[in-house]
Amino acid sequence: MYITKWFKPVMASAILAVGLAGCGSNQNSSDSDKETTKKTTTKNEVVNVYTARHYEADDEVYKMFTEETGIKVNVVKAEAEELIERLKREGESTQADLFLTVDGGVLANAKKNDILQPVTSEVIDKNVPENLRDKEDFWVGMATRARVIVYAKDRVKPEELSTYENLTDDQWKGKVLARSSTSLYNQSLLASFIELNGEEKAEQWAEGIVKNFARQPDGGDRDQAKAIAAGTGDVAIMNTYYVGLLANSEDPEEVKVAESIGVFYPNQETNGTHVNISGIGLTKHSKNKENAVKLIEYMTDVEAQEYLSANNYEFPVNPKAKQPELLQSWGEFKMQELNFETLGEHNAKAIEIFNKTGWK
Amino acid sequence: MKLESVKRYAKKELNGWWIISLIGAAVILLPILYVFLEIFQEPNENWYQIREYLLGNYVINTIILVFFTGILTIFLGVTLAWLTSAYDFPFRKFFRWGLILPLAIPPYIAAYTYRTMLSYTGIVQSTLRNQWDVQINPELLSFSSLRGAIFVFTIFLFPYVYIIARAFLESQSSSYIENARLLGRKPTAVFFKIVLPLARPAIIGGAGLVIFEVLSDYGVTSYFGIHTITTAIFQTWFGMYDVDTAMRLAAWLMFIIIGVFILERLLRQRKRYHLSNKSKPLVPIKLKGVPAAAAFMFCTIVLSLGFIIPLFQLIAWAGLTFDKVWDISFFTLLTQTVSIAAISTAIIIIVATIIANVCRSKWAFPYILSKVITSGYSIPGAIIAIGVLAVFIQLDETLAPLYSYMGLGDAPLLLSMSIVMLIVGYVIRFMATGYNAVEVGFEKIGTKYTEASRLLGHGITKTFFRVELPLIKGALFSGFILTFVEICKELPLVLLLRPFNFETLATKTFQYAKDEMIHEAAIPSLMIIAISTMSVVVFHLIDKRVKK
Repeated sequence: MYITKWFKPVMASAILAVGLAGCGSNQNSSDSDKETTKKTTTKNEVVNVYTARHYEADDEVYKMFTEETGIKVNVVKAEAEELIERLKREGESTQADLFLTVDGGVLANAKKNDILQPVTSEVIDKNVPENLRDKEDFWVGMATRARVIVYAKDRVKPEELSTYENLTDDQWKGKVLARSSTSLYNQSLLASFIELNGEEKAEQWAEGIVKNFARQPDGGDRDQAKAIAAGTGDVAIMNTYYVGLLANSEDPEEVKVAESIGVFYPNQETNGTHVNISGIGLTKHSKNKENAVKLIEYMTDVEAQEYLSANNYEFPVNPKAKQPELLQSWGEFKMQELNFETLGEHNAKAIEIFNKTGWK
Repeated sequence: MKLESVKRYAKKELNGWWIISLIGAAVILLPILYVFLEIFQEPNENWYQIREYLLGNYVINTIILVFFTGILTIFLGVTLAWLTSAYDFPFRKFFRWGLILPLAIPPYIAAYTYRTMLSYTGIVQSTLRNQWDVQINPELLSFSSLRGAIFVFTIFLFPYVYIIARAFLESQSSSYIENARLLGRKPTAVFFKIVLPLARPAIIGGAGLVIFEVLSDYGVTSYFGIHTITTAIFQTWFGMYDVDTAMRLAAWLMFIIIGVFILERLLRQRKRYHLSNKSKPLVPIKLKGVPAAAAFMFCTIVLSLGFIIPLFQLIAWAGLTFDKVWDISFFTLLTQTVSIAAISTAIIIIVATIIANVCRSKWAFPYILSKVITSGYSIPGAIIAIGVLAVFIQLDETLAPLYSYMGLGDAPLLLSMSIVMLIVGYVIRFMATGYNAVEVGFEKIGTKYTEASRLLGHGITKTFFRVELPLIKGALFSGFILTFVEICKELPLVLLLRPFNFETLATKTFQYAKDEMIHEAAIPSLMIIAISTMSVVVFHLIDKRVKK
């Protein structure tokens, strides 16, 4: 009586929705039952992936893999640390077979947390050089990116540039751009210096960069390139693949920015340019191990490697894979020689140094 | 005999409501408790390091952010609510509901959009540069750090205060305001002496939501590089690989927030205004000339900043990337987003109504219970997710023998690999938006109808359906819309708690935005905005019919 006309349908649909929620969830669980029973009967049909790489190119490669092998790839995408936490808590029960992420430190952390197991495969060993794999094969590299110096073509001659350390020189006062120290890319860069040059030198370096900042760290990697174009600063520390993304942007203004900057590989005469890695690890309690290894083999094979490199502007790990023109135009370079695990080991120290030196 | 059965009946009914409430509360509380108990764990050295070197600075930033956002949203929300309900000016009817629209744009999308618009390649600077050859100092337009964050939060969250304050002013305050007007009070005096004190509970409710949202935000603050307690939580977790200390920080944050709200309640206790329920709607005064133009301009500026400008910019970017990004799978994303949001919201509103109904008494226990179950809103989504994950995996492992007995296969992770886990996560996280709206509804009707109905022999259930429900349906409906929109926009929770191959529009947006691909993120962003906008419009239409 008191209930007005519209309220009845709303209430009814609310109740219906709850009912459906119940059914929906039942349905869902019965779906996953089907999947699990399927798995027990015909084992070779799926591979379950937890990935912190959010790239469309990856999804495309999974599709190519399914087409070729008939193995379905199921994916959960989230932040790397979250996925490690989920894997830890799921323990033996986990349904995940593979863990993919960007950054050597994170890969080392996954290994340390005991959620991975070694992978042995001749194909993988052939595809990926030894220095781009974990020493004990707990993970396999799938792509790399270099953290380089980007400069204003009209104001800086490449001859003036030499090393990361050189950027702390007075010559660059008020001209250096970098993003915030909360970025994992910067943390790993500093971690690599801690490993190669020692803590003291690393701290001096961070101090010197802060002293030479053109402005307080602001925005992401792309914003540093834009700040160069805007004339705020002359040189920036930046990842190569963002340059690729800028150069291929739909926005003509961004393409102009990419055209106004040059890429310089620092430390070629000394200890090499800082490179970070994306990698794949087999989970410790993988239930579809064979399929999982097949997917790693596929992703490190020439075809997938070339696809990833062409669409995501990362460097392939497979030496046989051809790089897209843009990457080739930057030339060959020498990379830092270090164990990627050390990036993880020094991460906390790197954050501490950033906090101490006031790198925001 | 008859009396006996009535008594027993009443008792049983009362227990029923309480039992449902307690079960609902328990499900919500378990994961929160899991986080909260971290306070009592032995702290490790990271904790001491953070406390010593970082916490001071982080707390100060957080306080600045919360203080200014709180003050500015209250100012904007209440002023606009007062303007649109007490005065009549051109397009007032449109602004009345149009001013809710900024809520349709998630703050992190707004932050990306504004920042890119004002950047070197953005429309402002590139137009100046290419059309008139004007180079301006980019630092002038620098849209970042605290300034930018306060702007974004204020412009895109003020509708929380606006909606609640307006509903209150329109339906509750007319007798007081009209008396004051009759007695010759000036409009400013009416506003400060009558409206503000009367609307205090409504304002606190709305501002509370804003503050919760600001505190738990990670998207905007991390994008602008501001160190707040929440970014500290994530730095501890992602940077120091220490999830326990991260949860500990979150637990303290939650503890402080609950404390503040209990304090507010205690302070307010003695200043309760019992409002007449029969008051007529407020009759707006017609503005003419300059005041009318000023009111119109003010509303137009706010609406432009909060909705029109970012909307058009996103549409332009969507045009740029349409061929590259658009494909048929967006329809799946759309239906998935809408259906999971609708299901979760329905559960939230039903549970919130049941619990709010039993928590209306003046005892301390129900009050604290109600604050605790809504505290999920103040915790960053990713931290709640850890609590939910822990509880569900535990539950699954306990139930594993049952699953295999029921022939569901021997994979033990059944619930935690299903969509149920995500729904529970949403319910915990967004109980506050639903609950606060329902609570305001109950507060508004007071207890006298209920008491009358109970005295006349209706049970608690019958009273609820026949007397209370029709009175609070408006509040339920606004709670539904607010919560639904929130869930459509939500990100961190869905990232971690989703089952295999489950994508929503928010995760798609994130996928692009994380890589600084702002233009590509425009299409999924626009779809989120479209859903939210439609909800607001539906809300408006139904609201209008109810009014009639």
